[in-house]
Amino acid sequence: MGERANEATPRAYLPPIFHALGGPLLGHNSDFYEALVRDGEARIEWVDRYSPVLNGLVKQTLSDGSLRGKKIAVVVHLEAKTAFLALALANAGAEVIVAGSNPRTTQASVVAALRERGITVTAEADGTLASWEKELLAAADHAPEYIIDDGAELTMRVGMHRPQLYAQLKGVSEETTTGTERLYALEAANKLPFPALTANNARCKHLFDNRYGTGQTTLQALLRLTNRKLAGAVLTVIGYGYVGRGIAEYAKRMGARVRIVETDPVRAVEAHMDGQVVGAARDLVPGAHFIVTATGGMRALGEPEFAWLDDDVVIANAGHHDLEIDVEALASIATRQSPGRPEITTFSLGTRESGEREVHLLSHGALVNIAGGSGHPVEIMDLTFSVQGLGAHHLVNTPLPPGVHVLPKAVDDSIAAALLAAKDIRLDAPRPEQEDDFKDWINGIGSS
Amino acid sequence: MTQTAKVALAMAGRERIDWAARSMPALHSAIQRLAKEESVAGMRIGIALGLDPKTANLIIGLLNARALVSVYAPSEGADAEVIAALEERGVEVFSDPAADAEGNLELTRALLHTHPQVLVDNGAVVTRLAHREFPELLDTMLGATEDTTSGVRPLGVMQDQGRLKIPVIAVNDSPLKYLFDNGYGTGQSCVMALLDLTNLQIAGRKVLVIGYGWVGKGVARHAAALGALVTVAEIDPTKALQAQHDGHRVCAIAVAASDCEVVFAATGIAAALTPEHLAALPSGVILCTAGGGDFELPMHFLRSQSEPRNLRDQIDEYELADGRKVIVVADGHRINCTGGEGNPIEIMDLALALQVCAIETLAQRSETLTPGIHPVAQDAQSQIARERLTATGASTEPLTQALKAALVDW
Repeated sequence: MGERANEATPRAYLPPIFHALGGPLLGHNSDFYEALVRDGEARIEWVDRYSPVLNGLVKQTLSDGSLRGKKIAVVVHLEAKTAFLALALANAGAEVIVAGSNPRTTQASVVAALRERGITVTAEADGTLASWEKELLAAADHAPEYIIDDGAELTMRVGMHRPQLYAQLKGVSEETTTGTERLYALEAANKLPFPALTANNARCKHLFDNRYGTGQTTLQALLRLTNRKLAGAVLTVIGYGYVGRGIAEYAKRMGARVRIVETDPVRAVEAHMDGQVVGAARDLVPGAHFIVTATGGMRALGEPEFAWLDDDVVIANAGHHDLEIDVEALASIATRQSPGRPEITTFSLGTRESGEREVHLLSHGALVNIAGGSGHPVEIMDLTFSVQGLGAHHLVNTPLPPGVHVLPKAVDDSIAAALLAAKDIRLDAPRPEQEDDFKDWINGIGSS
Repeated sequence: MTQTAKVALAMAGRERIDWAARSMPALHSAIQRLAKEESVAGMRIGIALGLDPKTANLIIGLLNARALVSVYAPSEGADAEVIAALEERGVEVFSDPAADAEGNLELTRALLHTHPQVLVDNGAVVTRLAHREFPELLDTMLGATEDTTSGVRPLGVMQDQGRLKIPVIAVNDSPLKYLFDNGYGTGQSCVMALLDLTNLQIAGRKVLVIGYGWVGKGVARHAAALGALVTVAEIDPTKALQAQHDGHRVCAIAVAASDCEVVFAATGIAAALTPEHLAALPSGVILCTAGGGDFELPMHFLRSQSEPRNLRDQIDEYELADGRKVIVVADGHRINCTGGEGNPIEIMDLALALQVCAIETLAQRSETLTPGIHPVAQDAQSQIARERLTATGASTEPLTQALKAALVDW
């Protein structure tokens, strides 16, 4: 969902000396800071233009005053679309605390614009894993009642490091497949004392965000960072969930020869029926020009797989974990590691005698579409954040028992209906005579 | 610019040039042949291609083959990092990122003042200028190569009127160029540049592609691949029929205009989209150019309507008299070059290897080449195609004696 500054222009390749000027060291009154705020504002305004559901249905629903004074932490990749959600909640009267869900995806200009509007932001751009941990705990220490979370990153940390605050949490709305699994695990371990909504499991989220959003933008990032071509290239996708499917489908339509590595037999059959080549990493990693991990788990591409990589292969991650490609293991077996173009690190494996291979890792293994790309499309996030915004509203207004819940179907449907209305697409309403006649059958059974 | 900043620029440029070099086997092998046969040793070659890491590899290759190279890069295709890296190697680059049309013309003249014997041209800009203003230079020139459809067209007109005085090799007309560069490279990079610059989704968007030549086909194919609802406007009925069979809606701009959200001009000719068309487009429409240039869009009209408002990097909004808004990407220039990094490396490997073969022909066969437009040699094209196939692990069917016999059997 992130948006890299200066995306897609030759200016994206400013030498490091310029980046060094962009940190939080500058005074708030400097011209640079003002320019930063203006840039952040312009990015948020652009999101505003293409967010009909957040601007319509969500704004209207939140205007009932029920969010007034509620403390809500928003911990999602911190860029313009997330800022727009945070502002929607703040405009509805909520006290919003914002942090990033990954140290590599926070944007300085958006942080500045949010602060300028009086929103509490505990994150800074260009952070490290260590600084990010501190930022999340700082967000926790604002004692939010509700969390809009990504990967359950803040929820897990509140549980681990701030047990009192954890006990006081009134609800969590979770963005991703990875975070949803974490919440279900907490529930199973009897360690989820509050209701959690899995926004991810709303159809208006995973059907579009995971598949089309990640699919389109992962390919965009892959091609932009490398300036390479898809038509005719061999692309291996590891994992055939919604994310993997989106990448595979778009890549195939753009002319790539796609291969799927999947451990789940049903999903593997699905790939097969979709007309994709499917199988084991041992068979489908050799010969690939590009490899993208999309399992949502860890070490999908690890030490055993590294042995099978061809020379000059480009590897990238589209899943939640930075560890989906085991970068540490890659670094430990590499004889050399050299930075090349921005966002590309080349690892040399093997020796000249045994056959040296060079492997190019994109964006250090972080989610390539966000860390190294232009992030999810605005329109996709309009849907996802409508799910999150209405999810927060649902948590606040509906008494729910502790446990993982799915957004009610009616709310999910209302989001889709709002989008269709904004696009002037009208649908038929089903007529009674079009329904299956099972009721007549059931009534007839045993009555004669 | 401080020395430190210059060095940093050149270093970033070098890294990107080296990255491109990895995926350009056909270019490297053509250059090696050129160097071995010393075909261009001591020869002055003027390059007028958009400057990016790929064309930089051609320039460096020609230097390695001991040619003398001067380069002109128009302001909208000038990559500061690549220029810095080339200047570091002693290449003379005529380019000014701030130059307007007149400034660019002056830089083009400067290129001609270096007395190039061979011109590698784009849009026939320098070749035409040489004919207009430097007729004496034409006598000493071996010839030129032309990279684009928009350049071959005016050269053809000059030839028909008997006014083309030098041999020109139409690199653009090689199927290895237009099938891949125009059809896949430009298609992929234009659609991706639009998405990178706007951060929008293309699935479900109504996209109008004006022109169904190779570039238009590529743009339509890639936009549709990502879920766009594509309409094609085309003057040639055969091409229009092909667009229909490729699964696109086909109709006149005036018919499609009222509900289209994105317009790609892909005609290579001036005023493909007119102020009259604008009147029918909905507010918020996004205009961009693929392949040709800003002359395809009604930029003069838009600029006469209002000062552009910059919405984000490379995105401007114009307000029309009736209050409707028109969004223009990359100031109407080719979106993939201005707003992205140009065509993919592998595609440019083909196009630039063809350029080397064309330069080779001009250098070695200058006595036998008459003024006029010539194709790239067929055997050179097959050689390049074969090299790319091998490099990507593919192979061709062996041509056996039996097949040879069958091919000529009647």
